[in-house]
Amino acid sequence: MNRRMLRLVIALMTLAGRAEAQTKVERGMHLNADGSVRISNLVGSVRVIGWDRDSVALRGSLPKGDKLFMGGGPQGMKMFVEPLNDRNPQPSALEVMVPARAKVWVKTATASIDVSGVTGELDLYVVSGTIRVSGNPSELNAEAIDGDIHVTGDPGWLRAKSASGDVTLKGTSDDVALSTVSGAIAVNGGKLERAKIESVTGPIRFAADIQRGGALDIDTHSGTLEFTIPRDTGADFDVASIAGSITNELNYSRPTKGRYGRGAELVMTNSSGGARVKIRSFKGPVTLRSAK
Amino acid sequence: MTEDDSIDEARLRELSEQAAALPRSIDPPSGAWAGIRSAIEADRNAPFDREQVATPHPAFWQRPIFLAAAAVALVAGSSVVTAVAMREIANRGNTVVAASPERPSETLTQSSSGPASLAQFTVVESDYLRAVNDLSATLESERGSLSPETIAKLRESLRIIDTAILEARNALAADPANRTLIEMLANSYEQKVDLLKRTTEMGRG
Repeated sequence: MNRRMLRLVIALMTLAGRAEAQTKVERGMHLNADGSVRISNLVGSVRVIGWDRDSVALRGSLPKGDKLFMGGGPQGMKMFVEPLNDRNPQPSALEVMVPARAKVWVKTATASIDVSGVTGELDLYVVSGTIRVSGNPSELNAEAIDGDIHVTGDPGWLRAKSASGDVTLKGTSDDVALSTVSGAIAVNGGKLERAKIESVTGPIRFAADIQRGGALDIDTHSGTLEFTIPRDTGADFDVASIAGSITNELNYSRPTKGRYGRGAELVMTNSSGGARVKIRSFKGPVTLRSAK
Repeated sequence: MTEDDSIDEARLRELSEQAAALPRSIDPPSGAWAGIRSAIEADRNAPFDREQVATPHPAFWQRPIFLAAAAVALVAGSSVVTAVAMREIANRGNTVVAASPERPSETLTQSSSGPASLAQFTVVESDYLRAVNDLSATLESERGSLSPETIAKLRESLRIIDTAILEARNALAADPANRTLIEMLANSYEQKVDLLKRTTEMGRG
């Protein structure tokens, strides 16, 4: 019992120490509805929320000794955290309310970025943090090195790139480019017009619809590709694998041996055709299916 | 139309006529690939380690085998082939150094033109390799801005891309007119250049 009490006291003291080591900040500024916001925070988290006001409000928690700089005018402003020790920065948490139509640029190292409710343009960069976006930004450019990127919503234009992190899209977009090296790519549910999806070894799972007249390009070196569309989606397929297999469960068309004497190819029209689907794989297995 | 435009058009027509008179394909000199492959393999374990990129070994393009290959390619193809090949690549969106976020729709409207053979691709490949080398050197000089964990993960990603390049390149050597392979190879090089470029930019804070 005494030992248990001692542990509890130590835990409470540790928590109290941590809380004391943090400084709370709250700031506000006027910003035009379509103004620009630039946010930089190396470690911790950045949360951006779009709201229906012509102003920016920041609430944050910084390690003691770190400084927050915030400045600019109605057309554009920026804020960044300057760590006390930039060789060993400690986590800062920033929560920023911005006009929903604002253009937002966020860059971090290991801090996660979480954006919701912004309908303007988003440019988000992390090295190894996670990027999460929900809502319908007009344009979204998200880049990571080994962090994940998760998008839920209907961005008008989307470009998401990671190397070893995963990339997921749950939603609809007119113009999409998703890319990884070894990270998995998953597209779920929405209807796409133009899309380019590529990985080197990362598995790709596409389970969405394609607009009539749309175009979809998928390239992978050795990642597995599971491609699922509604049975009645009209599409003209051009599928080629240099050394991998192609399995078609979408209709009765069967792949043929590759024109160069190896691998497999499948050129076919599903339903009445319409969208263009081009799939290229070096050796990853390709499976085409219809949605249940 | 300005005078400059008409001059460019005439020059373009002249270049096109000269290009049309050239052979449709040129086989690379024997051994050219061996030089490139050894450079890639040497680079694999330390993709942006300055010591391995530039010194103490001479850069791969300074090796006699590659110089010979480059000389033959230059003489045989002349600058006209380079211009035509590069223009074709640019037309299909495969710029060597990835532009800052271009519209995906632009990259989706690729025409089927582009290098039609291993020989034509070799000319373009040297540009990719130069870009990779330049970016690796830049990254190495700024590596203090990245954590050791990130560097390790980046190296692993580059190793994965190098393996893909090597496999596609070997397959292309056995099947030099396979345009699908040429597209895949170009794609892998572009991913490598893009990853290095993105990492360099992110490290700059």
